[in-house]
Amino acid sequence: MEIYLPIAEMSVHWLIVLGMGGGIGFLSGMFGVGGGFLLTPLLIFYGVPAEVAVATTSSHITASSMSGAITQWRKRAVDLKMGGVMAAGGLAGTVFGVWLFTVMRRYGQMDLLVSASYVILLGTVGGLMLNESLAALRASRSGAPARRRAPHLWMHGLPFKMRFRESRLYISVIPPLLIGFFVGVLSAIMGVGGGFVIVPAMIYLLRMPTNVVMGTSLFQIIIVTSAVTVLQATTNFSVDIMLALFLILGGVVGAQFGVRIGARLRGEQLRLLLALLVLAVGLRLLIGLVVRPDDPFSVTTVLP
Amino acid sequence: MRWWTALAGALALCAGPALASEDLVSGLSQDTVEITSNYTGTDIVVFGAIEHLEDTGVNDVVVVVRGPDADMIVRKKDRIAGIFLNRDQARLQGMPSYYFIASTRPVDKIAASYTLQRYAIGLSNIMPESFRSHHDPEPFRLALIAHKQHDGLYGETQSGVELLSPTLFRARIPVPATVPRGPYKVDVYLFRDGTVISAQSTPLFIDQTGLERRLYNFAHESPLSYGLSTVLMATLLGWLSSVVFRRND
Repeated sequence: MEIYLPIAEMSVHWLIVLGMGGGIGFLSGMFGVGGGFLLTPLLIFYGVPAEVAVATTSSHITASSMSGAITQWRKRAVDLKMGGVMAAGGLAGTVFGVWLFTVMRRYGQMDLLVSASYVILLGTVGGLMLNESLAALRASRSGAPARRRAPHLWMHGLPFKMRFRESRLYISVIPPLLIGFFVGVLSAIMGVGGGFVIVPAMIYLLRMPTNVVMGTSLFQIIIVTSAVTVLQATTNFSVDIMLALFLILGGVVGAQFGVRIGARLRGEQLRLLLALLVLAVGLRLLIGLVVRPDDPFSVTTVLP
Repeated sequence: MRWWTALAGALALCAGPALASEDLVSGLSQDTVEITSNYTGTDIVVFGAIEHLEDTGVNDVVVVVRGPDADMIVRKKDRIAGIFLNRDQARLQGMPSYYFIASTRPVDKIAASYTLQRYAIGLSNIMPESFRSHHDPEPFRLALIAHKQHDGLYGETQSGVELLSPTLFRARIPVPATVPRGPYKVDVYLFRDGTVISAQSTPLFIDQTGLERRLYNFAHESPLSYGLSTVLMATLLGWLSSVVFRRND
């Protein structure tokens, strides 16, 4: 049965959209990531306009993060105060990101903004992850403990210190605000939750204990992606609720299977697989930017 | 002298686009098309009759259906520093959002090109009211027509008008699922030996109904509640899944 997506203005088969949500949900459950960085490009390859793909993926991430956050909440592994500070930075970043999105859309450079951000971010993150997981695999083979990075001492000189009880930290609010802002911008222009940026930042930059990292990042992702969804809906009218519904339904089910498969694989192997996946998506988008398109022209109807 | 100029003026007026339609009667199979949720496209039928048929001369019927006009931006990708990005653009104002033409013969055999241009008959004669571009707009206009043809929103069938008898004709006009809604215009032209001797215009209204249209209206008319509803739906489904799958954790 074909369903018509009212905002993307295209007909799709409901099984395909459900399958896409399920597949991405499976991967996100397996790797413990939101999956936005895979879903947005997948939707764009399928023919969904870039602005609709970005905005609609946000609501898919809200749903998948919600389900994970509740599990973490039951384990009391959420630092609400830290999450709140990061979300405050994230909301400012969201407003800036959606503004940038609107401006680029007006100048017809939306696709470029989305693709170029993806190529840069996926290339960097994928490269770092590949490097790290290969090093970890080698280390586990030779029996030596994995190397940890040196603490960032410069951070302790910053003003506006605040006590975060659950994270057992007494640090300046500036780093979490800045990290939140950066992720908010990414969220608005790329349709990602940003977990793959927040989690390493929390561990290596803020030095938060690992048991609260997952829950706290999910908590802040829910707030930021909800804000992105509302802002995109009000400024760019680019949220497709039908597409979101089918992606979410597939996603929440797929994630449950992914979690089970993921539990059977070793951490280093998982990270290596994820790194290769991230690099492959980045490479595919890079090819789209540098290869001469079949048809150089594109047509947009201006709403009266 | 005065009488002659008045008569010449009256004749000139008659030759204009507002022609008497006594030689031609036509109608549509339906005045409105409702596009519903499971709509996958339909056809409307334009039919009619030529009256006062003369034995001399060649009669041709041309049917043109035009959707509501819109402004369109055509962008062209170019390589800059190794990357393909949208560079040159042209804004074409007042292009039809839908255009379909059917005729008894290929239109270039029916009449001279200046006649076809004057009545905007034929895909290549679709002209915008105005251009806004720093570049030669012609490639942009042609690209737009090619794109719309690919999407099924512009089309022509060169023998789409069937003559059921020397006086009766019929044409099928495809209405794909993606057509924009709004007031359409169905123009029927009767050509004799390459000149328009009669024309008739009939309005057609295309509206979209059903869930998708309501969602589209909701998204555009109250975007804040629409966005909040989407967030609410996402959080509820996320919460629900954590409840449903809780035992398996």
